[in-house]
Amino acid sequence: MVYSSILDWIHFPDVMSNMYYPFDVYNLPYDISYKLWELLGGTIAWLINLLLPGNPVSTWLICDEVVNMFALIIFMIVIFLVVFIATLISLWEERKVLGRLMDRRGTMIGMKGFLQCVADGLKTFMKENTMPKKVDKMTYMWTLSLVIGTSVLIACMIPLSQRWFVVDYSTGLLIIMALFALAPFFILVSGWGQNNKYSLIGGMRAAELMISYEVPILIMIATTALMAGSFNIGDIVNAQFNSTWYFIPQIVGFITFFFCATAESERTPFDIAEAEAELVEGWQTEYAGMKWGLIMLGDYFRGYVACAMITIMYLGGWLLPWDPLQINTYLPELTFLIKTWFVFFMMIILRGAIARVRPDQILNIGWKVFMPLSVVNLAIVLMLKIGGVY
Amino acid sequence: MAKDVLDIKAESAVMDTDKMWIIMGPQHPFSHGLWTLKIQVDGEIVKDAEPIVGYLHRGWEKEAEARSYPKIIPMADRLCYAASMTYTHLFCMTVEKALDIDVPEKAKYIRIVADEICRIQSHLMWLAAVGTDLGNFTVFLWCMREREFFMDLNVRLCGARMTTNYPRIGGVRNDTTELFDRDVMRCVERFEKVLMDDIVTLIDDSSVFVSRMKGVGYLTREQTVNLGITGPAMRGAGVDFDIRRDDPYDNYDKIDFDVPVMTQGDSYSRYQVRIEEMLQSCKIIRQAVQKVKALGKNAPYRLKVPSNVPAGRSTVRLEDPRGESLMYLISDGTDKPYRLKVRSPIFTNVSAAKPLVQGCRIADVPVVMAMIDMCLGETDR
Amino acid sequence: MVMEFLKKYPYDENIPRRTLWIMKPFVVVSKLFVKAVIHRDVAILYPYEDLWMPDNYRGRPGLRFEKCISCGICVRMCPTSCIELVEVLDDAGNTVKRPQINLGRCAFCGYCAEYCPVDAMTVTPEKELAEYTREDLIYGPRRLACDKINKNMEVHLEETLMSDIKNGNSERRVNAFMTDRPILDSSKCISCKKCEKVCPVKAIKMIEHGVNAKGRPILWPEINKDICVCCHNCVDDCPKSALHMDEVL
Repeated sequence: MVYSSILDWIHFPDVMSNMYYPFDVYNLPYDISYKLWELLGGTIAWLINLLLPGNPVSTWLICDEVVNMFALIIFMIVIFLVVFIATLISLWEERKVLGRLMDRRGTMIGMKGFLQCVADGLKTFMKENTMPKKVDKMTYMWTLSLVIGTSVLIACMIPLSQRWFVVDYSTGLLIIMALFALAPFFILVSGWGQNNKYSLIGGMRAAELMISYEVPILIMIATTALMAGSFNIGDIVNAQFNSTWYFIPQIVGFITFFFCATAESERTPFDIAEAEAELVEGWQTEYAGMKWGLIMLGDYFRGYVACAMITIMYLGGWLLPWDPLQINTYLPELTFLIKTWFVFFMMIILRGAIARVRPDQILNIGWKVFMPLSVVNLAIVLMLKIGGVY
Repeated sequence: MAKDVLDIKAESAVMDTDKMWIIMGPQHPFSHGLWTLKIQVDGEIVKDAEPIVGYLHRGWEKEAEARSYPKIIPMADRLCYAASMTYTHLFCMTVEKALDIDVPEKAKYIRIVADEICRIQSHLMWLAAVGTDLGNFTVFLWCMREREFFMDLNVRLCGARMTTNYPRIGGVRNDTTELFDRDVMRCVERFEKVLMDDIVTLIDDSSVFVSRMKGVGYLTREQTVNLGITGPAMRGAGVDFDIRRDDPYDNYDKIDFDVPVMTQGDSYSRYQVRIEEMLQSCKIIRQAVQKVKALGKNAPYRLKVPSNVPAGRSTVRLEDPRGESLMYLISDGTDKPYRLKVRSPIFTNVSAAKPLVQGCRIADVPVVMAMIDMCLGETDR
Repeated sequence: MVMEFLKKYPYDENIPRRTLWIMKPFVVVSKLFVKAVIHRDVAILYPYEDLWMPDNYRGRPGLRFEKCISCGICVRMCPTSCIELVEVLDDAGNTVKRPQINLGRCAFCGYCAEYCPVDAMTVTPEKELAEYTREDLIYGPRRLACDKINKNMEVHLEETLMSDIKNGNSERRVNAFMTDRPILDSSKCISCKKCEKVCPVKAIKMIEHGVNAKGRPILWPEINKDICVCCHNCVDDCPKSALHMDEVL
């Protein structure tokens, strides 16, 4: 093939026609990253070709395999960036809303306070990276990386729409839940490894919190899956689009899941693992500077995941039942994010309204209130299912 | 199989688990100020506790011996920043007793108004601290917001927000400023409404708050008396004693108010006593402001007092927001005290840490200890 | 008398009945959220806005240079001894003594303004005092001036005499500096003229009362009670404690 103009290098072919296309269905972020690489790689290839006409690197840069490879790398960045910005927005939302309901302003620096998150992030990165002498270095660093890693992983694994996903498992909800429930193990180990009594107690509390709240959450996930007939997130959302949003039949489950998800993402009414009043900073006590900043970011990723799960399971995911503006076709991702932020808003109000619950009370509520309620919810769904309503 | 299970069960009954000392040290978020609470825990249950104070010792009493009497008043402000008005008031009363002079009526009523503003302000600060101890920041900021209005009243009255330096030996620094009575009335009215509608609804209608406070940190009446606990912590345990009513100073006997007493003796009853005390303070302020107004603009408010205090001893006690504070003055005829002893309520109250937190969980320690309303300035002096 | 709060929320032994009752706090918080969104919140954006402060707000002390008589009462009354008298040139070029305040030590008690006999020292509402070095916090006499000083910032020391109250004349206010005057114990006086030198208002004149055994003149101070400001300087500096302050009560 002879390349004469730049348009030969950058020609935007159809992604689906690529034989190495890694997905079965159309994937928007992949399309975007594919085109981005077309633009970037094509320009590089064109420039190299201008200098050294007919070299093999230029053609290599835009052959199908290589374009796919670089597109996948950009794809990861795109997926992460979108989740990252969505999380930063929820962080900003928390600061502003919490500020308003406490009769103050919240953050005020740049873009209505949004840039404060960026400033805080930069600040934690600038801080000295200290590590106490007597900690178990292996557990200290590895558990931290794993906590943050799993949090980011599940946040990225949440599909934003039918066309915005990383993997389209048939058991998507279960896998998200499994990864979601992994972090407390690392917190427990990290608490042991830090050679600090506060961290130890915090880690133990995280473990007991996880054990007691995992069960009702799983029961409720199973209930939703039973109602939709599938564990696949897309199927669940479509099933809700075809009938009603599931929070109407499953109102008990919705409320219970809301609290359980708040507890599972360790947000304030249930953040006994890092109860700052009695356990300085809980299991994060010995982490300083950038590490602590990343833990906080990971926490907000988990909060985002919890809200996203509620959105998927009860609020109809990325689809709107009444859609005159064709949002379902053009911008389902935005619908999804707005719903997620709304659920997060409810969590913020919860944080502002009630105090931290004592560990024994949390266990009591978990086993004696939420657990029976989730079973009641399951029974209601079973009856609806048998009655043929859904 | 079954036998094994039984054996383990029997063993666990006698199993001796290691107890662990946790030092909730001077920089711990729960210790509002510089003090340490060492607690011994068995799992989550607190078995033993030991308070350590003294990090903030400034030699206040010794320093006072080197100063002439008027110069001690700004220092008495710094004994407790939340209750500066009561401590200056106490010091002035002690010197007045040593001088054997009677303060003008108007000064007495103004001092009552100032004291009760200070009491509300101090209790609001305590309530804010309870909010953070329980993990809710909303209560903290709402209380701080309300406190700000009382700070503004302080500014209107004497020009300073916290370290007021307002009472003087023989009266008060200045007369009430213009429109002060109107401002006080408005502020009190607003405060009563906000306290009952917003803050109390947020706390007492929430089962989380109530169940966190109820049933923890029990003290019996006998324990309270034996430990020498005073103030709202004592009245929460059923001891019906308030110096304002039972040993009145400065015209408190001419004012109609109630002393709330709860008999249950747990954290929640101490909380209730304090909230009710704030509302009673509002009533006192209303009456006292009316009395000040009735005395007219030209009534005397400050006496000229001799600068030398005759040799002798005098003791005065007063109902601080935190309990019974007392000053003991030995004067030697010069313009400087020979010895000035301060009895701080918190120094005694904090000694109850062990009976208070024994048997609680770790999570209860902040809320139980919040109910004695630590203030380290006066404790360590 | 009713106890409003205890009547509304009596101590209830049953906790479990309301275990999940958290709706009311939700409503209260949401109400405030809506209120704060529609109206503005009470928080003040400090560097851009400022609270209104009444004139009697006790910020840093202010000095009216011309009014000051360099009596040193502020130095004597300052509880943190952050004031000292320094020599400066006044507008006419003469060397005069004026107070200089180290604001790093100032406790903002307002004593200097309160005890100033001529109200040269005042309180000012200036409170933004941050500096880069500690030396910058030392305010000299000229720097202490404040263009905002008005009548309300003066703190008057108005006291009532106990004798006046006894006589039923309780509305009379006196200033301590206008009643107390130094009294001479002439048997102790050694005619050293020190009191004459230290008097800031030149109220003391040495009057000759004959000669002593050595033939030197005996000089006793005579105090002009109208201009005396009761600054205690003569009392404090008298080497033989021949002067003492007569306190009118």
